[in-house]
Formats: sequence, structure tokens, C-alpha cells
Amino acid sequence: MLTFSSVDALIDALRQAGYFAERRLATAVFLALKLQRPLLLEGEPGVGKTELAKALATALGRALIRLQCYDGLEQREALYEWNYAAQLLHMRAAQSGAGGELEAQRVEREVYQERYLIRRPLLKALQAPAPGAVLLIDEVDRADEPFEAFLLEYLGEYQVSVPEIGTISAQFKPVTILTSNRTRELNDAVKRRCLYHWLDYPERERELEIIRAQAPGASEALSEQVATVVNRLRSQPFASAFQRAPGIAESVEWAKALIALDTLTLDPEVMSDTAGILFKQREDVAALTHALATDLLAPPEADDSGT
Amino acid sequence: MQLGDSRTGKLADNLAAFARSLRRAGVRVDSARIALSTQAALAVGLANQDDLSAALEAVLVSREQDRMVFRELFEAFFRNPNMAHKLLSQLLPSAEGKAEPSKRRPRVREALSPQKAFGKQAGPKQEDQKVDFDAAMTASDAQRLKHADFNALSATEYRLVERLARDIRMPLPTFASRRNQQGVRGAALHWAGVLRQGVRTGGEPMVLPRLSPKRQPLPLLVLVDVSGSMERYARLLLAFLHAATRRHPRRDVFAFGTQLTDLTPAFRMADTDAMLAHASALIEDFAGGTQLGVSLAQLRAQHARKLVGRRTMVLVITDGLDTGAPSALAQELLWLKRHSRRLLWLNPLLRFEGYAPLAQGAAELHRAADAMLAVHNLSSLEQLATSLAGVMRR
Repeated sequence: MLTFSSVDALIDALRQAGYFAERRLATAVFLALKLQRPLLLEGEPGVGKTELAKALATALGRALIRLQCYDGLEQREALYEWNYAAQLLHMRAAQSGAGGELEAQRVEREVYQERYLIRRPLLKALQAPAPGAVLLIDEVDRADEPFEAFLLEYLGEYQVSVPEIGTISAQFKPVTILTSNRTRELNDAVKRRCLYHWLDYPERERELEIIRAQAPGASEALSEQVATVVNRLRSQPFASAFQRAPGIAESVEWAKALIALDTLTLDPEVMSDTAGILFKQREDVAALTHALATDLLAPPEADDSGT
Repeated sequence: MQLGDSRTGKLADNLAAFARSLRRAGVRVDSARIALSTQAALAVGLANQDDLSAALEAVLVSREQDRMVFRELFEAFFRNPNMAHKLLSQLLPSAEGKAEPSKRRPRVREALSPQKAFGKQAGPKQEDQKVDFDAAMTASDAQRLKHADFNALSATEYRLVERLARDIRMPLPTFASRRNQQGVRGAALHWAGVLRQGVRTGGEPMVLPRLSPKRQPLPLLVLVDVSGSMERYARLLLAFLHAATRRHPRRDVFAFGTQLTDLTPAFRMADTDAMLAHASALIEDFAGGTQLGVSLAQLRAQHARKLVGRRTMVLVITDGLDTGAPSALAQELLWLKRHSRRLLWLNPLLRFEGYAPLAQGAAELHRAADAMLAVHNLSSLEQLATSLAGVMRR
């Protein structure tokens, strides 16, 4: 397995994979790799939780296996399922032979074999060939509480128990990332097995780096302006005017849109024209008025002291 | 690196002392975490304090709310060597100090101060327990109380009513969840069951077990007005709600006056008296003014996620005498209505015959709410359950 000797090495590797990690985050990831613990990432939507898992998979040279959670997600969709149709067919075929009690037991043994097991993401991650996999359990909070119980054995021991076969444990422990938007508080049992990191919106400098990398067509002045404006949108007093602050993805999209519109510098008109990219709710789009946009762009000196 | 290395030095002691003071500040830290924190510290090295802080945070903190407490404490503990020393000497002889779940930032200060009061604060309300009331009361007695107005109750009657209110159970409306249960009815086949049955009959499925959706109670969000005009009702309603929804898997309770207070932690306590004691400690604006609009804005900004998938049932318990701007209130109510299954207004003022929601706040509430229900006495509370079911069917 590819390992990193220090936090700095990890930061560099992530950067090469296109992810600009701040140091506290990188330390948490470093620990997760070193101590072989799952890492639970919480944060507002659009701060790069999912992206981290992707970048980490690239940096480690591992396959990314993704489990998207949703309400009603069942064990059979997350862990494993038996191939019932094939099992029934096998039994029918076996039954054409001689009957008897012994025969029935033999058939039952045959039917619960690994070849009839359908592997779902968790099991796939456990059985991934060298160097192992990165498992992303995305938006755990979307699944309902009972589902978390299915994860406990995996998160704690990197193994899954299939009653008919036995315990399947990892040959190469998967790097596991859980993300949550905190629509609800996760169970303590899950949290106890994970390391925890709260991802905040990036500070201006890091966001600027991201915009430069993701929207290379933007002029330096424009990238700076986008980073500044988005940063101020997320802080008071502007933040309280909106229901949801724009994430990193939104600011990158916005920069790209501004390039497409051949914008050289931001002005209030362009801002209110493109508000639909920054905000996804009608009230928020309406709240970005001409006056507010002017305010946002206005005092560069106040902004310097702010960052 | 070996774990044994750390045990010889001061590191393990220091980390344990730190973790325990975190625990005293109300952060839940178990001993497995403390052991892990030593490993984590060794993994990132002790040279860089920022890295150490990040590493310990990843291990010891598991909730966003705890991060600031952690950082302040880390600051005090590791960047101020005298403090660490003092704490260490305090901690060594003392017995196990239980976590004190107090709720504000002073808890960092509290965790750093000498511990002697801790562990002794279990039951300051205990003497209240030996009230001279037991369940033995005649039916006629109960009848009289049922139609009494809580506002006019004497202290002893008040306690009896409280007990009655606690005994009424509120069956809440349910919805079909996405999770299935096995049974004889249902749209989908339970394949694992089919197979298991089939094995017995040599691969011939004779019985077809089925899956049907499990029903779950709707998530519940309760907003209780604790302003001056609601003073007497609020206490009783809290007790009633706590008892009636005790088994409810997902309920969030907020009190509001001029600001919003999250009472969910208090409601997690099993005992109603303990809940009331905890809640009174949490609520700072008791018996003050009413700013429903401001409180709802706060709900939207900080707790919007408590409204799960638009299927939450929201109960607003208030008399509608609001002192905020009606237009702002209307805006917030509209948002609340959009994000919930049903918005119900429980109004104690309905006890007056010919009551009409004329006050500005009340008019806005009346416009937004799906229904207005009475909650001023026991029979109205008893009807509440049936009325709720009726409103949900509509």
C-alpha cells in the first residue's frame, strides 16, 4: 500500500490529484490512513466532502467504491444479497436426482456458496484486490437510523458476517470515508468507530487556488473577485440575507459562467444576471439585489482587513 | 511506534488529563478514545502543535458543536504549561468526575476550575418528590379537574393535573417508511424467505412470504411559546409533551420567546421532573416577550434540517400574541409551511367562546396553519390525539 510519511506528503499528493486540502483536514486524513480508522466528514453541502474521497482514491492508486445512501437503504443493497433465482434453479436441478433427508441437507449446503452471493459495495470493498479500495459511504444521514446498525461491524472490524457462510474479513483494509450533511445527528455507535472532521467553507486563499485550478480560463483579477465575493457572501452580515450560502462547486461554476460571458471584472448587473448559479432557491436569487451586489463589491479595503 | 513508549513518558498522563477535562466540559469521550489519542499524537508527532491539535480533534471530537470547546481547552491546556500542571495535580487524587452536561461556553471555564461540586448535583429537585399525592383519587375529583382551566389552578391541584396530563398517551399519525417488514401481505416478495421455505420442499416454493412497508410515526417538531402570556401553560404543556411522546423516535422540541432554545437535550431525559429542571435551566427568556418571527428565522438558519423530507409534523403552541413585525412572521411561516407536512397551531386562547384570531400575529398564524386546536384543559388534550389524526387525513 502506498503510504505517506508525513502530513505534508499527503497534502502534496492530494494537490496533485486536484484537491486542495487545508492542513487540519489533511491531518485527520493522515491519521485515518495511519490508524486505519474510518473517517467521518461532516459539513455544509458543497464543501468538498465527496471530492476528497475521489482525490484520495487517485492519490493512493486505489479503486473508489461508492455507496450512496438513501432513505430505506437495506442490507441487501449495501452489503450482500443471495442470488435467489440461481439458487432456486440449482435446487430444482438437484431435486431431479434422488430424494431423502441427506440429499436435502446437501442441496442446502450447495445453495449457500460464495458463487451465489451477490456482492454489494461493502463486501466489494472488503474483497478488493491489492492494494485495496477506497470506500465512500456518501450522505449517511440520508439513510434511516436502523441502517447504521448494518455498518457497525464493517466500521469496527472491517468484516461482514454472512450467517450462511461465516465471516468475511478484509484482505486489505479499505480506506473508508463517510460523509454527512448533518440532516440528523448520527448514532454514537457509528461515531465512536470513526475519526471525525468538520469541513468548513475554505478560506479565501484556498478557494482562490481551487478556482484557478478548476477554471483556468479566468483572468487573475476575475478569480480574485469571485473568491472575495463568495467569501463575503458566506460571512456576516451578508450570510443572514440568504437561506443557503454557495459552496465551492457553485463558485467554480460561477467563475466558468463568467468566462463564458466574457466578463473581465464583476459588476452588479452581471452579478444579478448570474445569481441563479450561486443560489438555487428563488428567494435567494431574489435577495441578491442590485444594492446588495454593490455592497458586496464595494469596499476592497474592508475586505483586506477581513481576510 | 509502540504504544508502550508513551506509557513511560508523561504523554499518556497529559493526554488522559486533557481528555478528562474535555469530558468535564461535556464532550463525550470514552476510554477507547483516550487510548487512541495517544496513538494519534505519536503518529503526527509532537513537533507541530497545530497538527497535534488537529489530530486530537479528529480523535476526541465527534460533533460539530464540540469543536470550539475543544479548541479553547486545547489552547489553555497545551499552550499554557502552568495550567496543564495545575490540572494534572488536581486530577490525580480525585475520584471519577462525571461529565456535567451544562450547555454554555462557560463550561470550558468550569472544566478548568477545581472540581468539587461535580457529581453531587444529581438531584437538587429531590424534595419535590414527596408531594402528598398518590394515584388514589376519586373519579369525581378527576372530573372536576378535567374542565378546570390551568390558569386558575391552585398549586396542589396543579400538580395533580400534571400527573393526569402525563398519563394521557398521544398516538401520533404514521407514514409508510421505506423499510419493509415480513408478513403474509404486501406487494413485494420476500425472496430470502421464499428460498428458505423452498429448501424444505426441494426447491418448490409453496409459501410466498411477502414484504410490506413498515409504518413509522411522523417526525415531530414542537415549538412552545414560553413568553409571559403563556407562562402557566408552557410548563404543563412541556410536561405533557414529554410524557406523551416519550417513545417517539424522532422529536425535536424548541422553546421560543424572544429567542429560540433547543430543548431536545432536556427532552432526552427519561424523567419528566428532570426534564423540567433541565429545560428551565436552558430557557433564558422565560416569561418575557414574544418574537415568533425572529425565533422562526433562527430555526430556519440553524435548525432547518430538523424538518425531515417535508414530512415533519410541526406543532406551534402559542397564543399568537406576537410583538414582532407581521410581514416577517408571515414570510417565516410560509417557509415553515412549505417544509412540513402539516403545520398545526395549538392555541390555549381557544377556551374563550367567540375567540377570533384578530391580533396581527394570530391572524398570520391562522392563515398559515392547517388547523387550530385547543390545548387549554385536559379534555381538550385528550381530544388532541383524535383531532391530530383527523387533520392528517384531510
